[in-house]
Amino acid sequence: MNLEDKISAVEPDKTSSTEPVSSRKPASFFQERPPLEIEVAPQLLRLWSRRDLLLFGAGAVAAVAAGVALLPQTTLKRLGIIHENKNWPRKEWLLNKSLRIDDDVAEALYSSDRLVPTYTKSQITPLKNNYNGATPDHSYIPEWRLTLEGLASGLSISLSIRNLLASFQLHEQITRLVCVEGWSAIAWWAGLRFDDLLRAYPPMSQAKWVRLESSVNLGPWGNPDPYYVSLDLSTARHPQTLLATHLNGHPLTLDHGAPLRLLVPVKLGLKNVKAITKITYAAEGPKDYWAERGYSNYDGV
Amino acid sequence: MPATQLDNERTATSTPESRAVVRIVRRHHLLVRYSHWLNVPILLGLILSGLSIYWASPVYQHKPDPLTGNSDPIADVGIWICAHVPGLHQYSSPPDWVYNHISLGPGMLAVALRLHWLCAYLFMLNGLVFVIGSAMGGGWRSLLPRRTDLRDASKMFWYYISVPVAKLTHRTWLPPRFNTKYNALQRAAYFSVPGAGLLSVLTGWAIHKPMQLYWLTWIFGGYDKVRIWHFWLMWFFVLFVVPHVILVLADGWDTLRSMIVGWSTRTKRSKDF
Repeated sequence: MNLEDKISAVEPDKTSSTEPVSSRKPASFFQERPPLEIEVAPQLLRLWSRRDLLLFGAGAVAAVAAGVALLPQTTLKRLGIIHENKNWPRKEWLLNKSLRIDDDVAEALYSSDRLVPTYTKSQITPLKNNYNGATPDHSYIPEWRLTLEGLASGLSISLSIRNLLASFQLHEQITRLVCVEGWSAIAWWAGLRFDDLLRAYPPMSQAKWVRLESSVNLGPWGNPDPYYVSLDLSTARHPQTLLATHLNGHPLTLDHGAPLRLLVPVKLGLKNVKAITKITYAAEGPKDYWAERGYSNYDGV
Repeated sequence: MPATQLDNERTATSTPESRAVVRIVRRHHLLVRYSHWLNVPILLGLILSGLSIYWASPVYQHKPDPLTGNSDPIADVGIWICAHVPGLHQYSSPPDWVYNHISLGPGMLAVALRLHWLCAYLFMLNGLVFVIGSAMGGGWRSLLPRRTDLRDASKMFWYYISVPVAKLTHRTWLPPRFNTKYNALQRAAYFSVPGAGLLSVLTGWAIHKPMQLYWLTWIFGGYDKVRIWHFWLMWFFVLFVVPHVILVLADGWDTLRSMIVGWSTRTKRSKDF
């Protein structure tokens, strides 16, 4: 017997096609439409239920498998699902893909004309030094130089903090710094615009990226732990992207990256590298300390 | 095909055993069933990764406990559980039991963020398909609260509260009558869930892009407040799921089956309705 034949007559006062097309208009716009009612043989309902439950079960198994594949190994070990490290090929592929999609969305949202909100001095909040490593000894400050490479001139430029303060106009701004961890702080900064430095020392024409290196490069036990971030050139040109020299009206302290740090309010705090020693312009995306540790590469907020 | 013609054809081919029929009604559309079940793994992933993200910088803090050195109320919940559940005493210090067992674990911010974005994009996609599908199919009408809902919902609430007592004392206790797809209490709940989903997405974007979408962050009262919104919206889903699952299981197999298979035997004519 054909399955169709098991579906028997539908209520006579209603339309009987599989689509519930009602000939009379509902009394009100919000009135519920009569749902489709049919009569079937009990075994047909059982057949449908079995088929859909099997599909549902397959979906549930797939969801659990996907969860196990995506969860980090330490989590699975704690749950007792695995007992030793296992390497699935391309395990991280989907997670990395979603991170890249999110970076593309962030880049699409960015506009060099859109300024971030600024605050008044009464809204300033405490700013913590969130660096886990050892703060370097202040002995580097007297010899501190900023090196510029990847310039249009092909030269390598070395500048002292006095050069920078003398040749560039300082801009003040009270903006919020947002950390990837979820806290934020409103602080009063002053510094030269990165854009002004780019105008004074233009990068090579094919450059799209900036690599910034820092002299804050020690781990928690004083071990070497070089810190470097990548920044897209478009964000470097944002009018609120500063090479900051002052915090709360005073020159930067050692904790906050003396004598020169990056302040880029349209990026997460981890891009706001302290005690910059070297700026290199590059055509290809440079390495990034936190991107190597599983965070995003763009980090736009 | 005209109704009468179809009826005639079926009558003509029907055999005596097909006369044993069960009357069923199409309860849930495929769209509703799919988006409903997809939300289970997606929301679980969002909550687990979200709690790991929360832990990197907890919103709620108090003065550090002199004994455990802990200052986070969620960790206190874990300490309390460890102290009162047999077999968990060894976990009570350090105070991270709750995070080790109800999140991805400590030091997982980078992984948690990637997992959160993956689940968030799937959640938005699922929600968008549901909203567009419901708008086109008209299914949203059965979720829309009505003017009489406040009175009807309180009746339904008292029915739910008193039905276990009635069952225990073997008294018949009839539910309030209604002739819509959902009762007033269900409408309130099922209308709020997509609303909470939308708010979760909006607050999520407000936290994720507080500079480019600063106006969105401003609507929710600023960056620090919007994290609190997002946190409590998570609890809305958790607190919704508990009575939701209990009531479905109490209501029986037909209700659960209708969300998987789509058909229900509770038709307007059947006696158990």
